[in-house]
Amino acid sequence: MTRFVPAIILILLLSLWAFGVNPITGCEIIARGAFGGEIGLSRTLVAMTPLLLTGLGMVIAWRAGMYNIGGEGQYIIGGLMGASVAKLHFGGPGVILLSTGLGGAFYGALAGWLQVKRGVHAAISTILLNFIALQILAWAVTGPLQAPGTTASQTATLEPGQMLAKWSNRTDLHSGVLLAVLLSFAVWMLLSYTSFGFHLRLTGENPLAARAAMLNADRIRVQAIALSGGLCGLAGGVQFLGTSGVIDVGFNQQWGFLGIPVALLGGLNALGALASSFLFGALMAGTQSLSRSVLGGDLLIFVIQGAAVLTFLAMRKRERGNA
Amino acid sequence: MLTLSGITKRYGGLLALDGVSIEFAPGEIHAVIGENGAGKSTLMNVLGGFIAPDSGTGSLGTSTPLPFGDPRRTRHLGIEMVHQHFVLVPEFSVAENLALSAIKSLSGALDLESATSKHRTLAARLGWTLDFNARTGSLPVGIQQRVELLKSLAAGGTVIVLDEPTAVLSDEEVSELFRVMGELRDEGRAVVLVAHKLREVLAVADRITVLRNGRIVGSTLADGTTEHELQTWMTGEALSPIASSSTIAGEICLEARGLQVSGDRGEEAIRGIDLVVRHGEVVGIGGVDGNGQVELAEAIVGIRSSRSTSLRRPEQIGYIPQDRHADALALTMSIKENFLIGSTTGPLLMPKAVNKGARSLIDKYNIKAQDINATVGSLSGGNQQKVVVSRVMERQPSLLVAVNPTRGLDFQATKFVHTAIGEAAQRGMAVLLISTDRDEIRDLATSVHRLEGGRI
Repeated sequence: MTRFVPAIILILLLSLWAFGVNPITGCEIIARGAFGGEIGLSRTLVAMTPLLLTGLGMVIAWRAGMYNIGGEGQYIIGGLMGASVAKLHFGGPGVILLSTGLGGAFYGALAGWLQVKRGVHAAISTILLNFIALQILAWAVTGPLQAPGTTASQTATLEPGQMLAKWSNRTDLHSGVLLAVLLSFAVWMLLSYTSFGFHLRLTGENPLAARAAMLNADRIRVQAIALSGGLCGLAGGVQFLGTSGVIDVGFNQQWGFLGIPVALLGGLNALGALASSFLFGALMAGTQSLSRSVLGGDLLIFVIQGAAVLTFLAMRKRERGNA
Repeated sequence: MLTLSGITKRYGGLLALDGVSIEFAPGEIHAVIGENGAGKSTLMNVLGGFIAPDSGTGSLGTSTPLPFGDPRRTRHLGIEMVHQHFVLVPEFSVAENLALSAIKSLSGALDLESATSKHRTLAARLGWTLDFNARTGSLPVGIQQRVELLKSLAAGGTVIVLDEPTAVLSDEEVSELFRVMGELRDEGRAVVLVAHKLREVLAVADRITVLRNGRIVGSTLADGTTEHELQTWMTGEALSPIASSSTIAGEICLEARGLQVSGDRGEEAIRGIDLVVRHGEVVGIGGVDGNGQVELAEAIVGIRSSRSTSLRRPEQIGYIPQDRHADALALTMSIKENFLIGSTTGPLLMPKAVNKGARSLIDKYNIKAQDINATVGSLSGGNQQKVVVSRVMERQPSLLVAVNPTRGLDFQATKFVHTAIGEAAQRGMAVLLISTDRDEIRDLATSVHRLEGGRI
């Protein structure tokens, strides 16, 4: 990690240069956008939150050997479940948030069930389930969940009482940020200090040893990917209840996919994901500012993220090779 | 003549090889023996070009220097290794695995028939019935080793290095292998055998070299030595025989009637057997590998479904699987976590209790481990097996099912496992010992069955 920080700064400078931006001014804009006062910092934390939640989801699933590529779909289904509960005026933000987690968990468990009972590898089924979720999203926001009395393809805007609490009126900082950070510690504890977490990791490292130890590896796999989907659904919920207040066809915004590099960069460790999601949250907030002065500046985040993950994996591989 | 001189290899603080000089002559079977950790594997890896030594030289014939650290060029010189852990592609058929090493070019059509004709002739000459179309991963280990052997023999090296080749074989297969080794020697090849079973070594080797703590402590013609002398060289002490188990059997612990078990491919692996194991009794099940051993064990333990007219077994069953790498350990996880496999109590893992438990097992069972946070894969094979055995024994199950519990282990580790099993039986544990090692069954079992074709 110590050698990785200079590497990522180099990537940042090179990417800025490739986008035709003066690297020094570019960095300044990014830094101000990400850390400049409470507005910048809150923007970083708000961008970090869905990244952290989907990242944690990936940590749990991947450690169990379930290669969940379906964060995107689980995020969407979670959001839609929340929109449904919100439409029914069933309860406050807590109830809606819970339903988003359950929606995502159900969608994740579906992929788990397909793998253990029908032999469809989770990496394949979750990709396909993403496509289905996108279609459900398009159908829902023009059909049953469409805001009444409008032609716009989106849900009704949440009432203020259904949204997550905000710290102050000056920033976007919402209580979902705290929830995500607390959950990263919870996931870390779960994996390191509980028998369930240990058995989950054992199933991922050596499923045959889990079987010989008389554990039900299939059940653990389904539980792991359900938990993973639940966290991704929660990411959708937090984004819906904390930031957008509305769901349209562009709701997903790649948050589910971005959870994968966040988890990998965090070494498939919950606290590592906390650190890497903060890093990417800052880059996201910073490049948002950059996009106001540079054409295509908001795309920079994807270039940097891709390059950073590749560099990280290559460096880790080389270190392993030398050992 | 293959000569190594002054080979030294250091891993951190550990001197794995300390100025080893050794010669392997054509037309000779030369056995290199020693305890686990004596440096046998390191020496063989240097020989095979997998490891470059820190100092020392090697040459083939009078002038060709050995390309240390370059396994591909080493093979080109005609030095062939047969590894203890197979290097086969499980998803490939036997023919495909053999063709993989025989085909020199990446272009052109794949003609499995002609690519493996040499192997087929060899197999026929050795009297081996081998299904060349079978998926390799579905074959029992004993058969997989034949594939591995065929691969190296067909490549036609002038030096054949066999690393623990008998560990997985039954007695019949061992004598067959020895016949083959004799033929290779008579054809003028240098045959290098890495082994630890003295009786076998004395039966087949012409020359025996003993390693201890990275040094050569003795080298002798097989004719001029005894098992006792070799043992003393290897361990630095003479070993006392194990106390034999109690013969007083108690109440019935396991009773199976008409047990039928299916294998992975749906074949009938166990075809209706009756089995009774009483407390304090070690029931030995011998026989050649691939006759339903693993399926029987897994059915008794309860991780493989079975049919039977009646099956009575206790709640607490301890299981020592035959393949510690595949079934018993998570090599990438820490030593302390591997102690927990199958032995977690309660929903939480308290770090202090986990550390304390690991340290006490390490002390109690004399496991050579520096750091309980290191991966279990960093331990030697014997110590890995001790991790498996100790964690099973510590739970004091009423029934222990062990499949080849000492496969690939040296004297001290074997003695440790045997003593642990024998003492547990004396304390009243019922033990089902499934082993292809006839000596092991004879030393430990109070009653013996033989498993053949899924029947007793």
